[in-house]
Amino acid sequence: MYATTYHKPKTLSEAVSLYENSEEPSYLSGGHTLIPTLKSRLAAPQHLIDVRAIPELSGIEVTADKVIIGSATKHAVVAASREIKAAIPALSGLAGSIGDVQVRHMGTIGGSTANNDPAADYPAAVLALDAVVHTDRRAIPAGDYFQGLYTTALEPGEILARVEFKIPEIAGYAKFRNPASRYSMAAAFVARHRDGHIRVAITGAGNEGVFRWTEAEERLTENLSAEALEGLTIDPSLMMGDMHAPADYRAHLVAVMTRRAVQNLGGTHIL
Amino acid sequence: MKSPLQTIAPDVIMHPLKQPKPESAELSPEMKLVREALFKHVGKPIPRKEDGRLITGKGRFSDDFSLPGQTYAAIVRSPYPHARILGIDKSEALASEGVLLVLTGEDILADDIKPIPHNPVPSTNFDMKLRAKDGSHAFTGPHYLLPSDKARHVGEAVAIVVAETAAQAADGAEKVVIDWEELPYVTDTAKAAAPGAPTIWDEVPDNVFIDTTFGDKEGTDAAFARADHVVKAEFHIQRVTGVTMEPRSSLGSYDPETGRYTLYAGSGGAVRQKNELSKVLGIEPKDLRVLSFDVGGNFGTRNRVYVEFGLVLWASAKIGRPVKYTATRSESFLTDYQGRDLVTKVELAIRKDGKFLAMRADNLSNVGGRAVSLSPLSKGSGLITGSYDIPYATLRARAVFSNTMCTQAYRSSGRPEVTYAIERLVELAADQLGFDKLELRRMNLIPPSAMPYTNAVGSVYDSGEYEKNMDRALELSGWATFDARKAEAATRGKLLGRGFANYVESSIGTPKERAEIEIKDDGNIEVVIGTQPSGQGHETSFAQVVADMIQVPVEKVWIVLGDTDIVSVGGGSHSGRSMRHAGTVMAMASAGLLAEGRKRAAELLGSTADRIDFEGGVFKLRNSNRTIDIFELGRRTRESHGPLRVVKDNEMHTPVFPNGAAVCEVEIDRDTGHVQIVRYTTIDDVGRCINPLIVHGQTHGGIAQGVGQAMWELCAIDQNSGQPLAGSFMDYGLPRSDTMPSFKCEIAEVISPTNPLGIKAGGEGGTTPALATVVNAVVDALSEFGVKDIQMPVTPANVWRAMNSGRKAS
Repeated sequence: MYATTYHKPKTLSEAVSLYENSEEPSYLSGGHTLIPTLKSRLAAPQHLIDVRAIPELSGIEVTADKVIIGSATKHAVVAASREIKAAIPALSGLAGSIGDVQVRHMGTIGGSTANNDPAADYPAAVLALDAVVHTDRRAIPAGDYFQGLYTTALEPGEILARVEFKIPEIAGYAKFRNPASRYSMAAAFVARHRDGHIRVAITGAGNEGVFRWTEAEERLTENLSAEALEGLTIDPSLMMGDMHAPADYRAHLVAVMTRRAVQNLGGTHIL
Repeated sequence: MKSPLQTIAPDVIMHPLKQPKPESAELSPEMKLVREALFKHVGKPIPRKEDGRLITGKGRFSDDFSLPGQTYAAIVRSPYPHARILGIDKSEALASEGVLLVLTGEDILADDIKPIPHNPVPSTNFDMKLRAKDGSHAFTGPHYLLPSDKARHVGEAVAIVVAETAAQAADGAEKVVIDWEELPYVTDTAKAAAPGAPTIWDEVPDNVFIDTTFGDKEGTDAAFARADHVVKAEFHIQRVTGVTMEPRSSLGSYDPETGRYTLYAGSGGAVRQKNELSKVLGIEPKDLRVLSFDVGGNFGTRNRVYVEFGLVLWASAKIGRPVKYTATRSESFLTDYQGRDLVTKVELAIRKDGKFLAMRADNLSNVGGRAVSLSPLSKGSGLITGSYDIPYATLRARAVFSNTMCTQAYRSSGRPEVTYAIERLVELAADQLGFDKLELRRMNLIPPSAMPYTNAVGSVYDSGEYEKNMDRALELSGWATFDARKAEAATRGKLLGRGFANYVESSIGTPKERAEIEIKDDGNIEVVIGTQPSGQGHETSFAQVVADMIQVPVEKVWIVLGDTDIVSVGGGSHSGRSMRHAGTVMAMASAGLLAEGRKRAAELLGSTADRIDFEGGVFKLRNSNRTIDIFELGRRTRESHGPLRVVKDNEMHTPVFPNGAAVCEVEIDRDTGHVQIVRYTTIDDVGRCINPLIVHGQTHGGIAQGVGQAMWELCAIDQNSGQPLAGSFMDYGLPRSDTMPSFKCEIAEVISPTNPLGIKAGGEGGTTPALATVVNAVVDALSEFGVKDIQMPVTPANVWRAMNSGRKAS
């Protein structure tokens, strides 16, 4: 790790001001992507601005039709929330399936969403649950928010404040984990919203990061069952490939995990 | 007729077990006492004495030590698999803040720092004799602390930077400018030995520096000619690494007043480190003190000397301050000594009725950029025929250099590889020829009546009841009720498969061990021994042996190890040698201590030693009420006779052959290829078991390590760049608690005739059959897809590919 200066602001405005007045700053939340990167000397921010002590970034609110989660909320807190479990059990299960116990007690929803790692879990829920990403300055619909691998609509210095999920009629999440890292190698979040429309978001597999599988959505709109997906495949050229899973295997897993998400609506299926 | 051992450099082995003599002739009076001793503590599952200390953070690992004025080292490593060093510019690094010293391969030559004397070719009478193709001693590639000519693998240390802080050292290391000339490289085992491969060492243009043929070639050829069937296979037992929980670490210091060096470095045995590093530095062994206390995992990776250990010593003398180096996890993945990497081609000649007639094997071991140890190739060579009576065999054993990190003995060195080959081959034979796979094994197993048994390449198996092991393992595993479980799994979309493997392995190891036992005035017993635990529980199991002999509570016995100023002789811990060697010499030393005690007690009680009895830690004059407690005796006679203390040396050369069987049941998800192990059963004949709790713990760890190789582990290298791909836990898969079932393990105790306590070895038996057992189970589960074989690790992607292609996946 290169030398860096650590800051822990108590307010949003203090954090933004620190960012704007520093050379090579970086926000820090749970640190699960950033800290390993720093330790490997692959990044060298001169100022680390830890956003976890800012009160308005924490907390959970569940209304009649929304679940709102502050960006500095840890995965373990989301997984343990009875309100979230009652409203969107698949979201609760997703949070409880991230990493291991230690990771879930450090990692945050904001960090996961702001980084847009192609193997992260939360982006699938954000996209499938038609969420709105609130920042310190605006509200961004999920469809506009994710812009490719590690890329989002966030501008330099913009802080992700909270994520507002629509409570669906029902949703399911199925994940096939990388046998080494336990990150998603292919995962599907399927939701039927209260207005009847279906969203299928795939993470861990696409070479552009999280994406909506519209062909699957169309079939499931007709008939929300695994049988409706029989024979549906996805083009391997759209998939990532690596030593753990070549693109053709990932494409196969996307189809299987989408079927399993449908078979497990109201919960999760983690392999 | 059994075939004689034939090698290019033949050594006639007069095996002790082949010259039976009355037992008493081998036993000294002291050893008679050992035999007669009541086994009070031995055999009991006493909880580990060391656990309290370790789980409350009171362990003393290498990086826990710091010295006043300490500095920190960072290592500059090669980014290329093969590249000539045209020049190294230190100036920018030396100008970097806090940097005190930069050293390179040129400085090594200038200071006459010698290569590490690894002596990679195993040399006891019972090791297979590996030679170069022309029968000469092999060129093994000098291992300088830093090379001056070229780097031979990614991660090879090429410079050391010492600075005031670790961060400054890392900053300085980035500023060492190296002028590289990239060279053609080869990392793959088979390709490295193929004609036209890039040359790693000019001395060995074709990279193959060991090429020895063992066994009776004529007899083998004749048996193959008259065989009804010949079954062939080729396997690659892939490269893995140890992934010790504690990264390697070293702290070196030099005292100019005494001229002595001190090294704090966890290893597999401090005495080897002292002897070899003193040669590197060109000093007398007495001028180097090595301290190795708690060690966070070894598995063989720490048995040999690492360049960084020599570098911190050398650098500390140059700057006159202590120097510390601790590897990062990335450095551990790149440059811990790695394991396995054997390509084996095997053939089995079989008679119509299933009897094995002969075997051929062609084994090629990838040692990496230079040879650190040929133990895996050698150990495996002696066991190619496994647990089976195969009258004739021929083995060609070769070792090849490549542009990869060096390999070393790793968890059951060499034995899982050859066990994999024979147990997979038998499975393929049964499938191809229509035999029941268990019956084919059973009819060829070596019977107890044939013990001691000389196998076709000359290894003498000491004892064992192989068929009994097999029967018990099958019974415990619920083999007979498998079909019902398979039908149930099918209703859930799962393919259930079962795998079985027998195994026999060898434990040789450094033959010498010394124990010192002293009765302390404070009522404790101190035992100094030269083995080095890294989680095996020596502080408990060793104490059990001494407590039994001296008839005192186990809590009173304290094991002292890991400081070469106290431990003068010691073979370290490897090859399953510790309990057998240390247990025996401690028992002998205990007996010697009691003999000395009797003498002193007789003097005090006014009698002769033959009239003194010893019971419950108390010497007693026969037919009287006059007694003296052993601790009191020590105190009372200290002034007149010196401390009540005995030093005993012992040498044991005869190898032992632990053996057993394992059964694995896997459930494969039909849609995804995901493999879950649902049952795992083992029988291990460890000889006499000192502490079953500890042996079971060792077995569990051994199973996980073997299963890990079969299921997930791989030191993957990108063939297009020569770059290692598994440089962190993101890409190197390990077993986890939730991917392992609860094991069913049973210990069989067939007492070994080779040593007084009857010990064989424990722990490594968990690993040895695991690779074959898991793969046999996976292939069985996939049988309906026409899958006959699959490359390890059996990752979901490999399984899915195999299901789709119905043939060997890659």
